[in-house]
Amino acid sequence: MRYRRPGLDIASHALLILALLAFCLPVWLAFTAATHDQASLYTGTAPLWFGDQGLDNFRAVLSEPVSRLGTDVTRLLLNSTVMALGIACGKIFIAILAAYAIVFFRFPLRRLCFWLIFITLMLPVEVRIMPTYKIAADLNLLNSYAGLILPLIASATATFLFRQFYLTVPPELLEAARVDGAGPWRFLKDILLPLSTTNIAALFVIMFLYGWNQYLWPLLITTESDYMTIMVSLKRLLSSADNLVPWQAVMATALLAMLPPVAVIVLMQRYFVKGLVDAEK
Amino acid sequence: MATLTLDALRKTYPNGFTALHGIDLAIDDGELIVVVGPSGCGKSTLLRMLAGLESISDGELAIDGQRVNDLEPAERDIAMVFQNYALYPHMSVADNMGYALKNRGVPKDERRRKVEETARLIGLEELLDRRPRQLSGGQRQRVAMGRAIVREPKVFLFDEPLSNLDAKLRVQMRIEIRRLQKRLGVTAVYVTHDQVEAMTLADRLVVMNGGHIEQVGTPMHLYERPASRFVAGFIGSPAMNFLDARCTGDTLTLPCGTRIAAPSSHDANDHAVCLGIRPEHLSRVAEADDTTLTTRVELVEPLGADTLAHVRLDGQDDPLVARLDGVQPVAEGDRLYLRPDASRLHLFDLENGRRLDDKDAHSCPSSPSSRLA
Amino acid sequence: MATFQRHRLTPWLLLAPQLAIVAVFFFWPAAQAVLQAFHVEDPFGLGRTFVAFENFARVLASAEYYRALGITVTFSVGVALGAMALALLLAVLADRVIKGAHAYKTLLIWPYAVAPAVAGVLWMFMLDPELGLVSAWLGALGVDWNHQLNGGQAMALVVMASIWKQMSYNFVFFLAGLQAIPRSLLEAAAIDGAGPWRRFWTITFPLLSPTSFFLLVMNSVYAFFETFGTIDATTAGGPGGATRTLVYKVFEDGFIGYDLGSSAAQSVLLMGLVGLLTLLQFRYLERKVQY
Repeated sequence: MRYRRPGLDIASHALLILALLAFCLPVWLAFTAATHDQASLYTGTAPLWFGDQGLDNFRAVLSEPVSRLGTDVTRLLLNSTVMALGIACGKIFIAILAAYAIVFFRFPLRRLCFWLIFITLMLPVEVRIMPTYKIAADLNLLNSYAGLILPLIASATATFLFRQFYLTVPPELLEAARVDGAGPWRFLKDILLPLSTTNIAALFVIMFLYGWNQYLWPLLITTESDYMTIMVSLKRLLSSADNLVPWQAVMATALLAMLPPVAVIVLMQRYFVKGLVDAEK
Repeated sequence: MATLTLDALRKTYPNGFTALHGIDLAIDDGELIVVVGPSGCGKSTLLRMLAGLESISDGELAIDGQRVNDLEPAERDIAMVFQNYALYPHMSVADNMGYALKNRGVPKDERRRKVEETARLIGLEELLDRRPRQLSGGQRQRVAMGRAIVREPKVFLFDEPLSNLDAKLRVQMRIEIRRLQKRLGVTAVYVTHDQVEAMTLADRLVVMNGGHIEQVGTPMHLYERPASRFVAGFIGSPAMNFLDARCTGDTLTLPCGTRIAAPSSHDANDHAVCLGIRPEHLSRVAEADDTTLTTRVELVEPLGADTLAHVRLDGQDDPLVARLDGVQPVAEGDRLYLRPDASRLHLFDLENGRRLDDKDAHSCPSSPSSRLA
Repeated sequence: MATFQRHRLTPWLLLAPQLAIVAVFFFWPAAQAVLQAFHVEDPFGLGRTFVAFENFARVLASAEYYRALGITVTFSVGVALGAMALALLLAVLADRVIKGAHAYKTLLIWPYAVAPAVAGVLWMFMLDPELGLVSAWLGALGVDWNHQLNGGQAMALVVMASIWKQMSYNFVFFLAGLQAIPRSLLEAAAIDGAGPWRRFWTITFPLLSPTSFFLLVMNSVYAFFETFGTIDATTAGGPGGATRTLVYKVFEDGFIGYDLGSSAAQSVLLMGLVGLLTLLQFRYLERKVQY
């Protein structure tokens, strides 16, 4: 039952649509800006409609070495992809195993391991950035994919989510599997992993976004353009002390930087929402 | 096919709580043993120890004379049917049933053959490709049974397998389980809290309370000669009536003055005792005399074949239940004269609850402390 | 919980990768940070001297630190409250229109996927003093917008960009929370004579409080740490330190100023702060989490 009030309904829709438009405005302006050349951009305020330079602008950032970067955006996108996939897969891999040990085994020091792992939830990489950088340098990880990926795997979000999911698996399932002669590895492979597919997909979305959108760590650890990610390049593009900001290139790059995560979230929305809401539980 | 020997099995948890205080039981080949008791009595723990899902703290468990205390569940050659069935949700019915065989390395063809054979036996042929969530409760129950049968185990273990079904299906599955178990001739241990289920299924019944076995015997033996007041109250529905009485010579005197001839073989001369009378052993008489109980009807439950009269004894607070034949013309507030059947009375010790007229009956009286458990 | 027994080695094998990563990239750096906080590095990086609490004293005595703290609080409160209030409003609207709630969710969810740095850049373009569209609109209203010079406007810029990105996250949770409220409760309230406004404040809002609390913690954490990209890409802490938050200051002092001791001391202080926040969150989770 709800009180139908047509007037309120229309007002609600109107407000929602207004909000939607407002939310789309920054991206819309980015699109229009990316389709003009620099000269026409600087003739007045940013255009609300598309220009005719869109293809050229995107082709330029993708193929020509960007000024002050020495590499093209294709390479940056590749680096970002490697980093995001590495973080997502790495986190999911170690989290599946660690959560499995913590939930389905009883062993000495289990409680200690639990806390050692979950205390990492408390401190994001930003807080311990200096010493982490130093350790990465000591381990020769500067300017490498390993250096981009490994330190960011060291948080237990995924482990925590898998643990939450494992706790909802009916204990009888494990008992039935034991009676049926399945050992720990077989239970993991035959029963637990097939049951976790939705959760793995959800976590993949969340972790991919997390990895792709990293800023501070790649900023510190990559000095060579060969390993620079697209997020970091934005700042380099903007920081023009003398020249005018090449907004059309910045916006084309920004759009390319948004595209993969937005595509992932829209295509996998169902899992993403589930993953988020499960995380709260 | 196997015998099962339980020798002083104990279960103590790390926090010091003792769930089982030494269980002794010998189960014959092909026998269906039902373990029954109130929740928390340790019956499920016992079953899980047999399965190998709980470790055994002390004592010995042997299958076919071989100690299996330290064997993994799969190595004990047992099959278990769980209360919520525990079917693997992502596997088809056929894969669910064949999983144990697969883990044992049975070749695919043979697996398929065995699964199909079992499916025919229990009427699952049509459902082999379905997923568990596409099945009704009764069908899931059947798959769980099939999963147990297909392995041809030495022992079946049932953990309240029917409690998730509706009343009608429960009766039907009960009969089917009994039929299958007899047909396959496999030793089975069946845990339930439902005493009707227990009575109808069991070759022998084990009544547990507070981590002890109260009594072991055939259902009728337990019904007719309960070894303790606990068993007497637990077996039979509606439950047995209990009254305080005084025993002098061969006469029982109730506080209301009624005098009944005492059962012959008792030894409690001039003692306060607890008198147990089953509702079906109270019969209605027209006139009061000194062998009848004068009661007032509080509630009438007509069941068709007979009528349950909930009555209150004159001058006493304890409510009694009488099962009267057919549909009786009694109404709330009526005066009812009831005569106990003197030959079917039960006398129990007031303190330890043990049966008084039968020293030989297997009985493990529960101490007050263990009742707390 | 049913578990595997008699497997001694297996759990350790399973835990090994996670424990190794956590040890090398979490505990070691965290310990280093704490150690560093009590030492002063000599200018050539050749050795360090133990100075007890001197670094902390220095940090806690500096006006700059309190300024950064104040800025962090302003920024976080602005972002958390703004993103939550906006999300709640939109979620309530989407929840009441029934038709289209799902479509709105789909259309509002994507900004969550946008990186903080990108969000900053997009807003910076809209508000660019020279060719920004919104800054032009503001100019028409008589507001002279230049976040490169005006500290307050710079702060507004990063707050808006951060709200824009975080709102969708809150929206998803609020909508889920609203849809989980049993209709019968609202119906009972309606029968008891409560109008829509009163129903919201007396029934819906209290029932949403667990969600709100959870989001408050999550938004604070977001505002503290994840917005680094937004700030660095747009204002870089400026102008004149007007958007220099605590995290930004740790970065600046460490990587630009090379004052490792001070940076480490600030890290440790931040850790304490975050620890407090997390403790709050765990207290809230306690009901649900059983170890």
